[in-house]
Amino acid sequence: MRGGRRLGDWYAYLFVGPSLLGVVAFLLLPVVIVFALSLFRWELLSPPVFVGLENYARLAGDGEAWHSLGVTVLYVLLCIPLQTVLALALALMLDRRIKGVRILRSLFVIPWMATPIVMGLVWDWIFDPRDGALNRALDLIGVTGPDWLSDPAWALPAVALVNVWQHTGYTMLFFLAGLQGIPKELYDAASTDGATPAQRFWKITLPLLNPTMFFVTVTNLIGAFQVFDTIFVMTDGGPSKSTDVLNFRIFGTAFREFDFGYASTLSMLLFAVILLVTLAQVRFFGRRTTYDLS
Amino acid sequence: MTTPFRRTALYAALAAGAFVSVFPYLLVVLTAFKTRRQLSTTEPWLPGLPPSTANLAEILGGDFPRFLLNTVVMTVLLTLGQLVFTTFAAYAFARLRFRGRDVLFWLYVATMMVPSAVTVIPLFLIMRELGAVNTWYGLLAPYILGTPYGIFLMRQFFKSLPGGLEEAARIDGAGPLTVLFRILLPLCRPAIGTLAIITVISSWNSFLWPLIITSGDETKVVTVAISALKVGIGVDRGLMMAGGLIALAPMVAIFIFFQKYIVRSVVLTGLK
Repeated sequence: MRGGRRLGDWYAYLFVGPSLLGVVAFLLLPVVIVFALSLFRWELLSPPVFVGLENYARLAGDGEAWHSLGVTVLYVLLCIPLQTVLALALALMLDRRIKGVRILRSLFVIPWMATPIVMGLVWDWIFDPRDGALNRALDLIGVTGPDWLSDPAWALPAVALVNVWQHTGYTMLFFLAGLQGIPKELYDAASTDGATPAQRFWKITLPLLNPTMFFVTVTNLIGAFQVFDTIFVMTDGGPSKSTDVLNFRIFGTAFREFDFGYASTLSMLLFAVILLVTLAQVRFFGRRTTYDLS
Repeated sequence: MTTPFRRTALYAALAAGAFVSVFPYLLVVLTAFKTRRQLSTTEPWLPGLPPSTANLAEILGGDFPRFLLNTVVMTVLLTLGQLVFTTFAAYAFARLRFRGRDVLFWLYVATMMVPSAVTVIPLFLIMRELGAVNTWYGLLAPYILGTPYGIFLMRQFFKSLPGGLEEAARIDGAGPLTVLFRILLPLCRPAIGTLAIITVISSWNSFLWPLIITSGDETKVVTVAISALKVGIGVDRGLMMAGGLIALAPMVAIFIFFQKYIVRSVVLTGLK
């Protein structure tokens, strides 16, 4: 193709260049560094010391780290199923021409853009055992609410609820888009054959929402595994480490204890868990993504 | 099929859900305008009468406006960077042929899998090595060159435009830059708007990276400043909510005026 082909090449490299620099310097290099650092002991003040797999051996016997992993998994389990079911239910309710449907959709999405730090503080206030709106409202119906955030049994569910509050509406938007992509003839045909609403849901709606389900669970899970902001302002990992999620422990190990080598090892653990869970989902949904990557 | 009873139940469920969605925002507004006295004498969900701007005045009288300005500067620069670099890269990946294109694109897709929690420590150490801790450079550099996710979204959009668009221009001797600016970009306004909104929201709300890379007031942003309000002596809810109100208001305004771009972000992922 004339000499223009080479010129085109140059243009393309110029266009891709800045973003490639970003990807290499701020995404790939950090992954290499975090892996390398996990093999060192380093407290910033003295030079790093190569210790081989010592950090990983320490991790294997570190009950607090595994506790953090357990808390993280529990947090994810408290968030994702509830949030997904709620979002789907909302989408089904709002996928019809009823009065005010557009405004309702907007109201449900509005939590999504809330600054998590601010909303962490707001919910901290709502959950306040004496003055908070939740226990005040429970008082009105004669129920004495628990000390939400100071009670090891309730703190994690309470923080998880904030996540559900924030992400349900936006997730609903994806389900709505998915529902609108299902051909109406399928439902007509099923009704003609005498299918009940429940059968139509399980046999048509849910299977055809598979790509949407895959996308929202993968992205929401990856987000939930990295929860930090709300924990930071609401519980600081407590009480009794009941909300000490892995990302919070990584932060503390690095920036409060300055144990950068071991914090990197914990980062590798979080990375591995997220990767495994994502791969498991790819297998579970039995398909590659619907994206056209060609 | 829809009986009056079912219709009522449906609306009741939706109204309850909508109330829960909006209530925390309502609480921010109500509490921000209460005096300390009203705060302890009224129910949280009732307004304090008469409303008082004492909290707002107090927080705006301190260093807060400076942190707000920092957040605005950070958000504007990150969004501009994201739009420029992402658009160029996505255009190249979608519409130009060059050696190594597919390999590079797969590299980008692979990096989408890297959780930001994992990169925070090495990014801090890189910035420390470069002497960029507590500088604008350190705050912005990692996120200003465009994200793989943004490039991925924009590439999908560029690919959806008909292929014949460039041909005619090419025959007239137009180079890739002319094609991009004269022909493709005008068609991309919806996608660019969506990318801009998503970037504005995520930059404005960002916390962990600013928290780590900032140690003084020069580059402190609003989220970091607000989180510090809880650590002080005693917890002043009114003051915190006043700060929250200031941080939330621009996002809510953006939501109200640019809603359709947010809805479109869902469609852009190509799932529809």
